[in-house]
Amino acid sequence: MSTAIRKDPPGSAFDASAHAAVTIGRPADELRALWLDPRTCTGIWAHFAIVTMRGDGTVDWIARGPAGSQYRWRTKIIDTGPDDIRWASVDGADVPNTGVLTLRPAPGGRGTELHLDVQFDPPGGVVGKAASKLFNIVPGEIVQKALYQFRALALTGEIPTTNPQPAAREGGADR
Amino acid sequence: MRALCWNGVNDLRVETVADPEIINPRDVILKVRLTTTCGSDLHLIDGLIPTMREGDVLGHEFMGEVVDVGPEVKTVKRGDRVVVPSFIACGQCWYCAHDLYSLCDTSHPKPELQEPLLGYPTAGIYAYSHAFGGYAGSHAEYIRVPFADTDCFVVPDGLPDEDALFISDAAPTGFMGADFCNIQRGDVIAVWGCGGVGLMAQQSAMILGAERVIAIDQYPERLAQAEAFGAIPLDFTKVDVMDALKELTGGRGPDACIDAVGMEADGTGTQHAYDRIKQALHMETDRGAALRQAMLAVRKGGTLSILGVYGVMDKFPLGLLMNKGVTVRTAQQHGQAYVPRLLEHALRGELTPGALATHRFSLEDSPTGYRMFKHKEDGCLRAVFIP
Repeated sequence: MSTAIRKDPPGSAFDASAHAAVTIGRPADELRALWLDPRTCTGIWAHFAIVTMRGDGTVDWIARGPAGSQYRWRTKIIDTGPDDIRWASVDGADVPNTGVLTLRPAPGGRGTELHLDVQFDPPGGVVGKAASKLFNIVPGEIVQKALYQFRALALTGEIPTTNPQPAAREGGADR
Repeated sequence: MRALCWNGVNDLRVETVADPEIINPRDVILKVRLTTTCGSDLHLIDGLIPTMREGDVLGHEFMGEVVDVGPEVKTVKRGDRVVVPSFIACGQCWYCAHDLYSLCDTSHPKPELQEPLLGYPTAGIYAYSHAFGGYAGSHAEYIRVPFADTDCFVVPDGLPDEDALFISDAAPTGFMGADFCNIQRGDVIAVWGCGGVGLMAQQSAMILGAERVIAIDQYPERLAQAEAFGAIPLDFTKVDVMDALKELTGGRGPDACIDAVGMEADGTGTQHAYDRIKQALHMETDRGAALRQAMLAVRKGGTLSILGVYGVMDKFPLGLLMNKGVTVRTAQQHGQAYVPRLLEHALRGELTPGALATHRFSLEDSPTGYRMFKHKEDGCLRAVFIP
């Protein structure tokens, strides 16, 4: 898995974009169908947001920010071809963002490479905050962990977790 | 249930905690029959690993009885007496398919804590800090075991619990270390460290056909156990190890050297990335000296099999390996690849892991057990807890 946070120059439209990639030993069409399964997005983004996919290709997001704050937005899948899945937030989003998942064949029978790009655009309401400070985790980690969890789900049918029984007391096992 | 909890530096307490439950569909719950100390636990207890949390249940080397099974478990059933490797492996990913189980790609609940250190996350492991997954450990009455069909191995009738126990970690780690040596007829294998892993590496080297196995340590009772296993003991405080090894090999040098020294205890199981940080901050020259001695002693073109970890050692003499054409092999234990074979060896009496169990305690007395283990009191090689 690889990741990078690309900081765009000051004044550019996007504060930060994040990219991660994983290879999964399954065919692209199977992975694409799993990605679009409503139960999938709820699970693989759970470290970052409460995510609910609706029947019409829209997804509602409630992301956790510092000190109990929340950011809400709705995304819509804007174009789906066999090799990628794209989405963008609709008007009124607390944190406008766009995302694209690209599926490519991996060499040597290793399955499918998944490349995930998400770009966050902090709005006027939180002017001065970098995207990396909007949430409890940085954008690179958001996408990287989502792909890790997606790979686990695709290969094993489950996402590794210790919740609701973390090893430590008070549920404080996450950091 | 009762469990041994970490509460801070050198603060272990047996407490009442919530019972584990089935969370994912391939989980099982074990009633722990036996669970044991490992040298790598001492780093956790000493507070050298930053992602421990108060209340964490310790223990990663264990065996028990299956008392509950998840809906997707296919082969494991209630009542099975099983041993479980310390690294959690899914059995489905590329790494598991290549017998590299401790590198499993899917079993880590918190990969973001570990990936910055290693580049890629490893498998999760029981009770080895949250950077290694945060799974609750085995020093408890019950433990949740994910991916049961891959990670639970039924113990054959006739094999005592104490033999099966160490096939969780010390035995497969040691066997893997010997397997790395690609032992050929006439080979001499030298093993640094006569703790649990080192002793298991010595027996394993014999099983794999070594002509002669040489065991290096300083504690008389551990050297005596190595000798009882058939190894030639060398006390490095009493002999010049290089001279002795050349004498024992006709000047050729050992064909392979296994480093099972570890850090705080002698060669006891898994060591991890945070240990490496700990080593950088608390470096002790004698530890580096053991590995450098192995590098110097191994014959030209030989194999250096590293089970202890020295990831950020300064002044690492890489040129020594390069100029001698040494092959280096190392890993955390890929236990699932070895356990079936080890159970058979143990059943036939070729492998006797139960010999590591020198001291036994109830779970309530486990803090005393750790103290004796840490300070090697009364010749304590491994403390075994009976929940």
